[in-house]
Amino acid sequence: MLEINNVSYKTQEKQILKDITMKFLPGSRYAVIGTNGAGKSTIGYIIMGLDGYKPTFGKVILDGKDITNLTITERAKLGITLMWQEPARFDGMTVENYLTLGGKLPLQKSELMEALEFVGLEPNIYMKRFVDKTLSGGERKRIELASIILIKPKYAVLDEPDSGIDLMSLDIINDVVNYIARYGGTPIIITHREEMAYNTDYGYLICSGSILLHGKIDDVIKAFRSSCEVCTHPNIPTPEELK
Amino acid sequence: MDVRKEFETIVKTAEKLGTDASKFMDKRIASIIISGDRVIGLNNVPGVNLNHKQIEHGVEVNMEITEGVEVPFPIHVCTGYIEKKGYQRIIFNIRIKKGAKVKFTAHCVFPQAEEFTHDATSNVVVEEGAIMEYNDEHYHSEFGTISLKTITNAVVEKNGVYKNTFHLTKTRVGKMNIVMNLDLREGAVGELVSKVKASKDDSVNINEIIHLNGERARGLAKTVVVGLDESKVNVLNEAYGNAPYSRAHISCEEITKGENVIVSTTPVLKISNDLAELTHEASIGRVSQKQLETLMAKGLTDEEATELIIKGLLL
Repeated sequence: MLEINNVSYKTQEKQILKDITMKFLPGSRYAVIGTNGAGKSTIGYIIMGLDGYKPTFGKVILDGKDITNLTITERAKLGITLMWQEPARFDGMTVENYLTLGGKLPLQKSELMEALEFVGLEPNIYMKRFVDKTLSGGERKRIELASIILIKPKYAVLDEPDSGIDLMSLDIINDVVNYIARYGGTPIIITHREEMAYNTDYGYLICSGSILLHGKIDDVIKAFRSSCEVCTHPNIPTPEELK
Repeated sequence: MDVRKEFETIVKTAEKLGTDASKFMDKRIASIIISGDRVIGLNNVPGVNLNHKQIEHGVEVNMEITEGVEVPFPIHVCTGYIEKKGYQRIIFNIRIKKGAKVKFTAHCVFPQAEEFTHDATSNVVVEEGAIMEYNDEHYHSEFGTISLKTITNAVVEKNGVYKNTFHLTKTRVGKMNIVMNLDLREGAVGELVSKVKASKDDSVNINEIIHLNGERARGLAKTVVVGLDESKVNVLNEAYGNAPYSRAHISCEEITKGENVIVSTTPVLKISNDLAELTHEASIGRVSQKQLETLMAKGLTDEEATELIIKGLLL
């Protein structure tokens, strides 16, 4: 189980997360939902341990072990990964090289081809293409999803996986999310769109760095719809809402 | 060392750069192999005229492509030096006649050199409507004591195309001074791309210059240098817009890794015709943090991720 225990995080200017506690169980699908600026991506960065995202208070726990001070690589080796909202681009690196991490992952070509087909990319066309600016945002995201399929992480944080892509690709994202859960992994979707959250089991509703509600996804979506989508004071929760 | 052994040593080293050695034996492919101050292999094909003469410490080669000829296979040019010490002077006079089309695959291999200077001058003329591509890759010894001085002066006449790539990414550099000077006439296109990896106490000086002297001439000068350890890198890329509707872009990307690296880049843009358009982009710094973290989130270490990113940049 992956846990975030009483995590707070602040920058010089702002308190981003306020005493957050979350639990992610193996094999279940999670959504972290909230409006823009609620602090959702920061949760993902803290789980992955990105540079500059060490909690100012609290811990990240994996299977009972404190991983708060582990590096990104160490966390990845324990089975955690992150897909950025806007994945990085790499000049001169082919899709094949990217997916195999320069040959470090012992993958068969057939596995690469299957993963690309899974995300709707024709392997014969995309294998030799570069993971650079010549790819559209949607293509780049599909490649990232293929990478996740190949890495088979225990916990995959997908930050706004649907941003900048077409409607058809939503099915592909859902297929990948279901695939991760089927092998016992835990997809954690960070999103501000309820359509993305439908295909999960549990949710955390975030507002201004606090958890407003957590539980079954239907309840969380209902609350998001009634409170956040019509909110006249986004990311400034009232004391009642925080209760 | 006899000629056969010299040939084998040079060709084997060229193979390390990915060249197919059988190309040097293929009679359909024009080629020239220079070792020290001698030509030890030469093959001409129809439409290609390679001839040479010995000069003090080196060789002068004249290469001419007949008007209108499209050379079907790249011409292989291999320049080697297999002694440990010495000086080599190479002069290439290249003329691509009107409407001709040709590619060159060039390798400079100095696998054992310790105290050695390679001094090369290329004088290139691409005539009207001709197309020339010259891909040059270097393989130096690991002593870091080679001194490389190359000057390329290319004139590209009306609607001609000239593309030059220079790669020194697989071995130590030593001391390197390269100057590439392009004179682009009406409608001509010129592209200069240099990729270099400097390590330890290597010293790199690159100067790419584009003169847009003809209407609608277009030029690109792109440099990618990775500076590691305590290497020193200095890039000066210049573009001069002297004709209407001419355009050029200069780009310099320098990636650093090492506390004692000294890297500088200077773009110079100058217009003497107000209808010309020049742009530049330059960056110096460590590998992008987001790129690093992306690969680390898949399990690579900082070092492994850096190496993979750099490998791509220098491709």
